[in-house]
Amino acid sequence: MNGSIVVTGAARGIGRAIAEKLASTGPFTVIGVDLAPELALSEQITPVQVDLTSEDGPATVREAVERMGLPLIGLVNNAGITRDARLVNMTDGDFRSVLDVNLGAAYRLSAELAALMQDGSAMVNIASRAYLGNFGQYNYSMSKGGVVGMTRALALSLAPHIRVNAIAPGLISSEMSMGIPEEIRDKMVDAIPLDRMGTPDEVANTVWWLLTPLSSYITGEVIVVGGGRSLS
Amino acid sequence: MSGVIHWARDVTDTWDDIRSELTRAFEVSRAAAKAEDPIVYVVRQDDLLGRRGPGNAMVATGLLSAARTAALEGVGKGWTANVVAYDEDADLASVEAWAMRLADSEGVTGELVRIGPGHLGKALP
Repeated sequence: MNGSIVVTGAARGIGRAIAEKLASTGPFTVIGVDLAPELALSEQITPVQVDLTSEDGPATVREAVERMGLPLIGLVNNAGITRDARLVNMTDGDFRSVLDVNLGAAYRLSAELAALMQDGSAMVNIASRAYLGNFGQYNYSMSKGGVVGMTRALALSLAPHIRVNAIAPGLISSEMSMGIPEEIRDKMVDAIPLDRMGTPDEVANTVWWLLTPLSSYITGEVIVVGGGRSLS
Repeated sequence: MSGVIHWARDVTDTWDDIRSELTRAFEVSRAAAKAEDPIVYVVRQDDLLGRRGPGNAMVATGLLSAARTAALEGVGKGWTANVVAYDEDADLASVEAWAMRLADSEGVTGELVRIGPGHLGKALP
């Protein structure tokens, strides 16, 4: 299925791995949102720099899709930030900024692009294993839980034309997880049955699978890519 | 009973409305956490499954995840966070009673109690 796929948060970490995976396994042309032109390593990746939380951010992405002239066959809502604090210490600003980026931007972009998406296309929303709860992340956990609800609602409303699923990555080796103090990170790894952090590529592989017809009977689901951490 | 029983309000599918409702929950929850009081969120079962549109779904599932995180933070401090989800035709007095029971209970935290059979055979949230 030839066409374009929008990936948000494509500049680094999981988003970059997703964009590169899709570009290398075509025939997809990837629109990498938040990606600076100099970071677009492949001709198959078209960079678009935009603040998705701005009033006209989603419309800017839609215009980029329309300019490309290819059918839109996929959307990956990946962009996310953290502003961790215990609930008692969390500021209004840190609460709102995480909600706006992780949930608001994903929702507004999905609403903007859904009408452009072709019959048989797919949407993948990157949630987090933190949707099951994670100390010091009331805002992040709420935002990712919201992504799960958005996934279910859109799966129902967009069926049978568009499949919508979510992935909940656990501890993944990325810029975000490298911000966790090493001592704490080591303890987190100790609690993972597969005894290591995941890689961005392992998330990207799951995204790729959910975007292709190999997963054609799956919609409204949350797939945890977490090395078994939810059990231990 | 002390603590917060927070009923999710219906929202439209506009982001401003959704954010406003989630922010309302955050503000009452932060105050409860500072007071080391229990928190109970009350949501609709249909919304946990996304059946009444994305706005209400994002609020309900957002609150469920937030409760799980709040519960982790309350452990050791002695306060709890739980969620009650009810079917559309549930007796609201029963829903309220369950919410109060959870707010009063010690050692029950991070739980989802579902009132009515609507969740049977459906996805686990």
